[in-house]
Amino acid sequence: MHGYGIATLIRERTDGELAVEDAALYQALHRLDRQGHVEAEWGPSENNRRARFYTLTRAGRKRMREEAATWRRYARAVEAVLEGI
Amino acid sequence: MFRYLRRPTKTVTSEVDEELAVHLEMRVDELIGRGFSPDEARREAIRQFGDVEFTRQYCRTQDLRKEGDVQRGLFFEELVQDLRISSRGLLRAPLMTLTIIVTVGLGIGATATIFSAVNAALLQPLPYQHPDRLVRVYTDAPPNKFRFSVADYLALEAQQTTFARIAGYTGRAMAFSDGRTAEQLTGKEVSWTYFGVVGIAPAIGRDFTEIDGRPGSPRAVIVTDSFWRNRLGGRADIVGTPIRLDGADYTLAGVLPKAIGPLEQGQEFFTAAQWKTPPRKGPFFILTIARLKDGVSSAVAGEELRAINRRIFPIWRTSYQDEKATWSLMDLRAYVTGESQTTAGLALAVVALVWLIACANASNLLIARVTSRRRELAVRAALGASRGRVVRYLLAESALLAAAAAAIGISLSAVGVSLWRDLAAGYFPRAHEVALDGATIGLVAALTGMSALLLGLIPAMHGTGGPIDLSLRAIGRSATGSAAVRRLRQALVGSQFAIATPLLVVAGLFLTTLSELGRVDLGFDPHNVSSVIVTLPSAQYEDGRVGAFWDELRRRLEAAPGVQTVAYADGRPPNEVNNFNNFDLEQFPTPAGQSQPVTPWVAVTPEYFRLLGLTLVEGRLLDERDAPRENIETIVVDRVWAKRFFPNESAVGKRLKEGGCTTCPWTNVVGVVSEVKYAGVDKPDQGSVYWALPPTTRLRYVLIRSGIESAAIVPSARRILQELDPSLPFSSVATIEELTDQSLQQPRSLSWLAGTVAAVALVLSMIGIYGVMTFYVQQHAKDISIRLALGANPRGVLRLIVGQGMTVVVLGVGAGLLAALALTRLIASLLFHVSAADVVTFAGAGLLLAAVGLSACLLPAARATALEPASVLRNE
Repeated sequence: MHGYGIATLIRERTDGELAVEDAALYQALHRLDRQGHVEAEWGPSENNRRARFYTLTRAGRKRMREEAATWRRYARAVEAVLEGI
Repeated sequence: MFRYLRRPTKTVTSEVDEELAVHLEMRVDELIGRGFSPDEARREAIRQFGDVEFTRQYCRTQDLRKEGDVQRGLFFEELVQDLRISSRGLLRAPLMTLTIIVTVGLGIGATATIFSAVNAALLQPLPYQHPDRLVRVYTDAPPNKFRFSVADYLALEAQQTTFARIAGYTGRAMAFSDGRTAEQLTGKEVSWTYFGVVGIAPAIGRDFTEIDGRPGSPRAVIVTDSFWRNRLGGRADIVGTPIRLDGADYTLAGVLPKAIGPLEQGQEFFTAAQWKTPPRKGPFFILTIARLKDGVSSAVAGEELRAINRRIFPIWRTSYQDEKATWSLMDLRAYVTGESQTTAGLALAVVALVWLIACANASNLLIARVTSRRRELAVRAALGASRGRVVRYLLAESALLAAAAAAIGISLSAVGVSLWRDLAAGYFPRAHEVALDGATIGLVAALTGMSALLLGLIPAMHGTGGPIDLSLRAIGRSATGSAAVRRLRQALVGSQFAIATPLLVVAGLFLTTLSELGRVDLGFDPHNVSSVIVTLPSAQYEDGRVGAFWDELRRRLEAAPGVQTVAYADGRPPNEVNNFNNFDLEQFPTPAGQSQPVTPWVAVTPEYFRLLGLTLVEGRLLDERDAPRENIETIVVDRVWAKRFFPNESAVGKRLKEGGCTTCPWTNVVGVVSEVKYAGVDKPDQGSVYWALPPTTRLRYVLIRSGIESAAIVPSARRILQELDPSLPFSSVATIEELTDQSLQQPRSLSWLAGTVAAVALVLSMIGIYGVMTFYVQQHAKDISIRLALGANPRGVLRLIVGQGMTVVVLGVGAGLLAALALTRLIASLLFHVSAADVVTFAGAGLLLAAVGLSACLLPAARATALEPASVLRNE
């Protein structure tokens, strides 16, 4: 998926609630690429432009599972604290 | 493979630009679709994006860093790949690989071994406290450096102000008895200051004190760690108890630590000397060492030494007349090292040359290999491998070879160093200190690095030189750059011969020396003569019993089967003379201020002459009448002595005063006998004097001539001695032939070293010239075939090819002979009866190399003339 696609996906999935700035997204992608969590490759986009497509690497997938688990625990904890308010 | 190709910086940055531009375009399209005008859409897209410039920079940095990481990984990956490919390639040429690894490894190993010996002996400071302040003090009467006498030592001790402290020592063999058996051990008698001067503190017990050195005090001894462990059971509570040496009790004051210096090495014990003021100036037996005070230069100390010597000279005028002799000092390290520099330098140069010649040979072999692989390399280059990449690939190959050679070299030098410690201790100083230390490992690393460069760089430069297309085009003709290659390889082979020549010359000179030494006439028939040293401890044998013991021993030995004659002496041929005496001839008195002549004086029993088979030239032999009472009144001299001092008249009846004594009665020469070697087979005869052995002498060399093999006599002599007195120590049971053989140890080792090295050099040079000529014939197969096809005489072709090779050989050998002429002058002192510029040796070495070169050229040349012109030309 290319950067634009990812930005669009985030917006649609969250109904615009989670507005990730494009700048931050690209910085994150290049950082992840350097760390080896994603792999980038040039390819044709839907409307036939040359775009840079990112895929998760094996290491990236593993890291994501860990981070997601951490986040879920955190969210549950916050939820538990807020319960009853 | 694609992603491994290096992406230039420009590509990385433009890719970031493109990615961001594409994103903005898509956003703009999306916004236009939602009703924005193009201008508004662009502004909105940029607003939504955030800081475009910063992001651009950030992403570029990240990408470039990633690129760097990839490149580094790639480098190692390529390195591993290079190493894998080259090791596979090398294994495909096992003979060449083995030759290179073994010869270069040999060179590295030998150089490292000799270097570690030289490093320990010549370069390392002595293992004493502040060793640079330690000096040896001696009486300087050029060319001799004499020891001190007790009179000298006590005077120096009392009057000197420039040394922190002085110490003296002298070698002393004594019999140690543990109550049951006795054995003769080597030790030293030292002044009580000795361990303080060198800075060694006993590990157990105490150092000597001034009281131990005072005449009349109880005798004290300090022993080495090994003596304490092996003979005293290693018990700490033994310190302070008495131990028996030469039948007397010595209080064990202390035990030395394990770490001791070269002066203590090989000794078992150290007794505290109790030197009294003597009536005469001599004898001179004390080796004096001293520690300079801080801030005092040796020049100042030397000045004071000369002053003290001048001051005491008049006191001893009656017993010592050598006015010319002065006192002087030298660095203690220089004394310990002695004259080993020449040997050491020579050995080091020789092994370093072996390493160099091995590298030259390896380089030569590798050039041939690269040349035959030029096509492969050119194809690689054409396919995009950079020149650096190809060089790196070739260097990986030579690095592999050098590393394998280094492994062999290290193991060889580990073996060599331990051998050296055991074998060289007798004739090379500080051999026990030799170790594979940091300096040696550093040298091995440096040699390995240089080997890799020498092996790889020349072939690599050559293999990748020149424009690629030219190389590729030239493949069709197969004579690629042959002229340049040939010149390069000829230069390498020429230098191989140039290095081999001096090595061969040196080996030849040493072999001649060895054979000359073996041919030296000892002056008597050493066959079936054996000898043993026996010492009678004074505590068990009072003067009255000594004579009776010797008579009984002789009676029993003569009764043993096979024994013909038994004699006693205080020395033995070929190199054990224990008494050098000075004398003043009545007829030619020594002028005041000059040194009196000094020659070996050997005390013997009357049977001695018959035993060695010395012929009486004139006068009579010694007999019972001549046994000295107070003074030596009669002597027999040998022919060399008689010719030296009385060249034109008979020596018999001449008189002299011996030992510098002016008040003693005259000593008369009563006979002249044929000469015998006493100062070693390699030393010229200086004339010897025989006098009758006093009956009370406690240390005697027993000489036995037998009718049967002397090796068979040794055990029965041993048995007879043990029967006579089981506690009696005796040592050095040996036949004279063994002793002579032992004295040739050093020239033999040198011959072995030089001979082995020369053989290696010879073989390598042969491989070199053979390789070059084979290559030449391969490259010129076409020319030769055409010539032969056109009817050329095969002999002419043969002569042409051999001439090519021999030009290189002759030039190399010529240069080598010139180098040898300069080199051998440095080893002149190690040669015997052969000149350093010996024509026969030089010519022999040159001819041998030329012959070897010629035979190595003939084989490829013969192969060339046997070429089948038709098939060669068809194959082209």
